[in-house]
Amino acid sequence: MKWATIRWHLRRSDWLLTGAILALMVIGILFIYSASFQRADMPVGKMYQRQIIWALVGIAGYVTLAMTDYRRLAEYAWWIYSVVLVLLILVLFIGHQVHGATRWLNVFNIQLQPAELAKIAVILAVSRYWARPDRDMSSLASLVTALIIAGGPFLLIARQPDLGTAATLLPITLFILFAGGIRMKFILVLFLIGLMLAPIGWLGLGNYQKERILVFLDSSRDPFGAGWNKIQSQIAVGSGGLTGKGYLQGTQNILGFLPRTVAPTDFIYSVIAEEKGFVGATAVLTLYGIILLCGTRAALVAPDKMGRLMAVGITGMIFFHVFVNTAMTIGLMPITGLPLPLMSYGGSFMVSMMLGFGILQSISIRRIRR
Amino acid sequence: MARNSLDREYIRIRVLALMMCVALGFISLMLWRIQVRHGHQYQRDELRQSVRRVRIPGMRGRIFDTQGQVLADNRPSFNIVIFLEEVRQPGTWTRTINHLEDMLDELSETLGVERELTREAIQSHIRRRLPMPLVAWRDVDETTLARWAEQVAGRPGIDIYTEAVRVYPQGALAAHTLGYVGRADLVHDDIEPFHYYMPEMEGRAGLERRFDAEMRATAGARLVRVDAVGYRHGDIAVREAGAGQDIRLTINHHVQATVEAALGDEPSAAVVMDPRSGDILAIASAPGFDPNNFIPAITTEEWRLLSGDERNPLLNRAVAGAFAPGSIFKPVVAVAALENRVVSPQTIYDCSGIFHLGRASFRCWARQGHGPLNMRQSLERSCNVYYYRLSLVMGYDSIYHMASTMGLGRRTGITLDHEVSGVLPNDAWKRRVFNDAWRDGDTVNLSIGQGPITVTPLQMAVVAATLASGGTVFSPRLVSGIRPFGEGSFTSIPPEPPLIMPWTAETLSTVRGGMRDAVMGDRGTARLGRVPGLIYAGKTGTAQFGPRDAGRTHAWMIAFAPYDQPRYAIALIVQDGVSGGQTAAPKIGQIFQELLAGEESS
Repeated sequence: MKWATIRWHLRRSDWLLTGAILALMVIGILFIYSASFQRADMPVGKMYQRQIIWALVGIAGYVTLAMTDYRRLAEYAWWIYSVVLVLLILVLFIGHQVHGATRWLNVFNIQLQPAELAKIAVILAVSRYWARPDRDMSSLASLVTALIIAGGPFLLIARQPDLGTAATLLPITLFILFAGGIRMKFILVLFLIGLMLAPIGWLGLGNYQKERILVFLDSSRDPFGAGWNKIQSQIAVGSGGLTGKGYLQGTQNILGFLPRTVAPTDFIYSVIAEEKGFVGATAVLTLYGIILLCGTRAALVAPDKMGRLMAVGITGMIFFHVFVNTAMTIGLMPITGLPLPLMSYGGSFMVSMMLGFGILQSISIRRIRR
Repeated sequence: MARNSLDREYIRIRVLALMMCVALGFISLMLWRIQVRHGHQYQRDELRQSVRRVRIPGMRGRIFDTQGQVLADNRPSFNIVIFLEEVRQPGTWTRTINHLEDMLDELSETLGVERELTREAIQSHIRRRLPMPLVAWRDVDETTLARWAEQVAGRPGIDIYTEAVRVYPQGALAAHTLGYVGRADLVHDDIEPFHYYMPEMEGRAGLERRFDAEMRATAGARLVRVDAVGYRHGDIAVREAGAGQDIRLTINHHVQATVEAALGDEPSAAVVMDPRSGDILAIASAPGFDPNNFIPAITTEEWRLLSGDERNPLLNRAVAGAFAPGSIFKPVVAVAALENRVVSPQTIYDCSGIFHLGRASFRCWARQGHGPLNMRQSLERSCNVYYYRLSLVMGYDSIYHMASTMGLGRRTGITLDHEVSGVLPNDAWKRRVFNDAWRDGDTVNLSIGQGPITVTPLQMAVVAATLASGGTVFSPRLVSGIRPFGEGSFTSIPPEPPLIMPWTAETLSTVRGGMRDAVMGDRGTARLGRVPGLIYAGKTGTAQFGPRDAGRTHAWMIAFAPYDQPRYAIALIVQDGVSGGQTAAPKIGQIFQELLAGEESS
């Protein structure tokens, strides 16, 4: 690659986005350390070190995709989508099982979670489908097709079962369809259908999933099991106060009330809120806000509809994760197991988020107006 | 139109952005509410909170005999406890500890029980289990309880705490079968971590151990909130403990008691089976022990007495002891010979008292010899020479196969620990163990149940039941039912299907007839075991063991009664007894007599 090309990319890239991403990554690693430093046992004690490696891998992916024209990527949308479908099917058969859910594939000793890649693949595929100039957005047939594209991976992931991750595909798809110009009537109808399907979905849920929702509605229902995390997370956040107890001083997670298995993953935000208080927690939220606005800006300046929709999809994905995770941490939502982008411990998740950001940056770099 | 549609897209993207900002703003607002507005409340919660989880054991399932008599039960144990948070003293720990010591001394005087807790014990409790009540006296007696009710009850900070304790109401009865429990060593598990554990029992031996998973209850839990110092602040929630499942045995406590009485205290064992079903009615090993001594924990001294006893009272000889069978093996050889058509019941061998094989000679126990005998007579009088000759005619292989069919040489699979298989030797076995070929001398030895062959009393009870039932080889059943807590009736655990041998009537009448004569006949070896009014069949055995010149013998007998329609099949061994006829037969007679008397009275 020529120096001129690189300079072109550097000059046109959205540095605010890159800066916010790097800031969140660093904060994440610091607090994964805080949530796990006093654990002497090897595999968990080294969590932050492994997260650094994942972050570096993520950055490599980010830079690569940022320098790749997203339109070339879009040409492979169906291939990527198909490969992910195959991986998801493979997981069901030869997947690695942890706590009753089969979510991981062992590839060269690295445990891969194809469901994370599925989010990106669905964004690419749905955008590609919905962005075609001859697409009749008022036709029911094309709406149904778009839903089917998202529905395949959805069912496969729900089957693992990983309902939280499967559920993210829904708002992502709706964001893209909405921005792409779907008729409001359809949005309303979809909403009503969703309401009607809810009771049926309830019957389809596994017992632990039902329990989590019931516990959310009444946390004294199971103060020993699922309710424990919710109560303890709330106390952790609440006891942080305005400025927090200080870095590495969070008694909730250090004393182990916030279970040490979830503190660095799903409940990382609770550790931040406890140790850095309202100030730290809102600062992190602000960084996410900046990322979401950068995503929105990328959508507005994208050179074509394809780019616009992809940017909206990626932004929607980030938003959904951030919102559900923080709401869960402070006890506003049932415990879903959705991690916090860029901060929660986890390799597949980190890399797939960074790939998404890479695409976002790529769109932003190839903008047509300011 | 295109222009319009693009505008619409931009508007919608902005709508989405606005929505996202509003949502994040909402989260910030909630953060403000929780962290700043109600922060104090959560900080107080967190400071004082510190919730402790306490594991409460459930009620262990009970063990019943076949008639509903309870063999292992739970009884309440009354503990006098002190709630530290109610008697705490301001200032240093020493003041609280002093105060506690004063309280204990005063209580000890009022209740008339010696103080058990040392100052060190109190300190250790405060250090390690502060939110938990301090147990001052465990399992106090009724007198103390009465004094308590009169003089102490109602005082703040002191209370009675009841916990369930294992008890074996029948004392030593069937101790080896029931086993005993001990304090469980609970490992910390990550799924439901507890800070404190209440004493909990787990099966350590016998059925208590084998059926521990069934009888153990799901534990309950209590969430205790402790304050900043660590005292108990209050209970947040309680999850009631469950109750374990009851099990029902095939053992009949009356039969068991009869058998144990007959065995007495010398090293011996006996097993009684129902030859109609394969159920174990009694399984006993002497000397025994009282499992109540293990509750809540066995004292060091008692343990030394038990484990240091040369007679090994903890060993369950009925399943874990393997002994040479001696002549009680002869019916097995007889069935093998008749079923293989090697001889007929009328075949006669002459016994001169000694049998020569090459340069070796084998003796009959009757020095002068038995003279000419047919098979039935050979069993009645237990002639060795008859079986020496017979075995050489038929070969060891058919003896081996018949014995193996009846279950010798392998475990019966009874639900008791430490069951051994005994040894049923053949050529391959001898080559493996002695690196030597099987010889005729081995066959001759095997024919009278001597040599390397060993059997357990349980295996021989199965053989007795097989002969009694006319060829049904049972897998002995010990546990017949299991009952989840709160349910009225037991769910039956069906027996393993038996193996039914197609033996001819002639074989059966000859062998069973010979065994009948052994008891009822004038020259029968088991005549000392006769019971007035009962016709039954049996076979004695006097098995040599140890060095030949030491002349030590085990006294055996297998029997079944009544002869026509057997309801009991029994195998009994007295270790180091004089002879089967003199030592074992009278005990069998005593057992049958009492079982008969018991049946009539009930």
